[in-house]
Amino acid sequence: MNKPDDNKLMERCIKGDRQAFETLLIRYEKPVYNAAYRMLHNRDDARDVTQTVFLKVYENLDQFDPSRRFFSWVYRITLNESINWLKKSSREEALEHEAADKTSGPEQQADDAKTGESVQAALMMIKSEYREVIVLKHVLGCSYVEISEVLDIPEKKVKSRLYTARQLLQERLTDQGLH
Amino acid sequence: MAIDPKHVELINADIDGEISSADRIELEALLADNSDVQALHAELSALSESLDSLPDLDSPPHLKHTILASISQLQQSQGNNGSSSFLQGLFGAPALKYAATFAAGAILTLSLISSDRASQRAFDDVTDLVGTISDPVPGGPGVHMTQINRKEIAGTVTLRSSGPILIVDFDLVSSGPVDIVASYSDQTIWFNGFAQLESSGASISAQSGRVTMQIDGKRRYAVFLHNAGDRDITINLLFMSNGEAIYSTDIEYAQPGHAG
Repeated sequence: MNKPDDNKLMERCIKGDRQAFETLLIRYEKPVYNAAYRMLHNRDDARDVTQTVFLKVYENLDQFDPSRRFFSWVYRITLNESINWLKKSSREEALEHEAADKTSGPEQQADDAKTGESVQAALMMIKSEYREVIVLKHVLGCSYVEISEVLDIPEKKVKSRLYTARQLLQERLTDQGLH
Repeated sequence: MAIDPKHVELINADIDGEISSADRIELEALLADNSDVQALHAELSALSESLDSLPDLDSPPHLKHTILASISQLQQSQGNNGSSSFLQGLFGAPALKYAATFAAGAILTLSLISSDRASQRAFDDVTDLVGTISDPVPGGPGVHMTQINRKEIAGTVTLRSSGPILIVDFDLVSSGPVDIVASYSDQTIWFNGFAQLESSGASISAQSGRVTMQIDGKRRYAVFLHNAGDRDITINLLFMSNGEAIYSTDIEYAQPGHAG
């Protein structure tokens, strides 16, 4: 991840530069949407969370810490908003059932396997704190250091959380005979 | 299968591409003669590949515009507080630019509308309003706003009064062609003009009690209605895509003292 000019864009944005804001929006719209989708497994919710994320970015421009990198700020907001969304709509438990239902039949399993939905379904069965490290690593392509920065936890903890997340995912997939 | 946690860490670091040269040598030695390590490495590699190959989804095509429209609305609701200066610069549109497109819009309207009450005099009336909608619509008394947040279309529609003229301000973005039918039952109120901001090629038609227009992409339209008696009015907005109604809402104007 090499976006050295994000923070410069933020500086310009704070000064009212429309183009700078739109550049950041264009640059991060898709990764934010994808991260939200992988956290929520629902396109409409991902769209709404993406919208909320950029509204929060705007509302809190003056609170941005220039000593941190922009991506870590916007990804942190994305994960927080996604988790808040799940809590608010009480969907976490429903999603687990939904995910379990989705992989219940062999035909559904075959269809899902083609689209990666079986992995996504398993992802929805693990706790948010594990799902978010998987999303940061495999969807957003963050390094250990970058994940550490986003989540504000030590790198050692990032590694252990990632290992545990994979172990849990593997167990879910094995339970379903998918891996 | 009990594997030393240190070896598990090496396997994960290798999969993540974050293994040091020294650790790689150690892992290769383990992989050469430890079947448990081999099995776990293969298992986690396959999982990692599955995760890496999750499809990269395209965000909805109009999401960016929806976000910008939402921020504009936020600006409107914030009125003149401290942060509005930022957005004034960010999203405010120059009145002169609007004036130019207003003229084009008026010409366009003259060529396309079929109104039983529209006249050149009517367009002269609304010419005075040039620039009025170029500024973000402030909130407060006399301004009635409805927010639309659908997959097919999103943004705001604002209704306000300027003397005898009612201005219906459509600040919307659609993911495809959407027809908007604005209808009102009070036959004493008549279509008085149309303008568009930073766009061209709009189609609009006006009949007694009804104005129909089409939106495709991000558009800012203003429909002017003549309301000489400053009468209360309810306008029904019907949004249609591919001939089917996708959303309907009412927006109301009440003269000062009548509201609430």
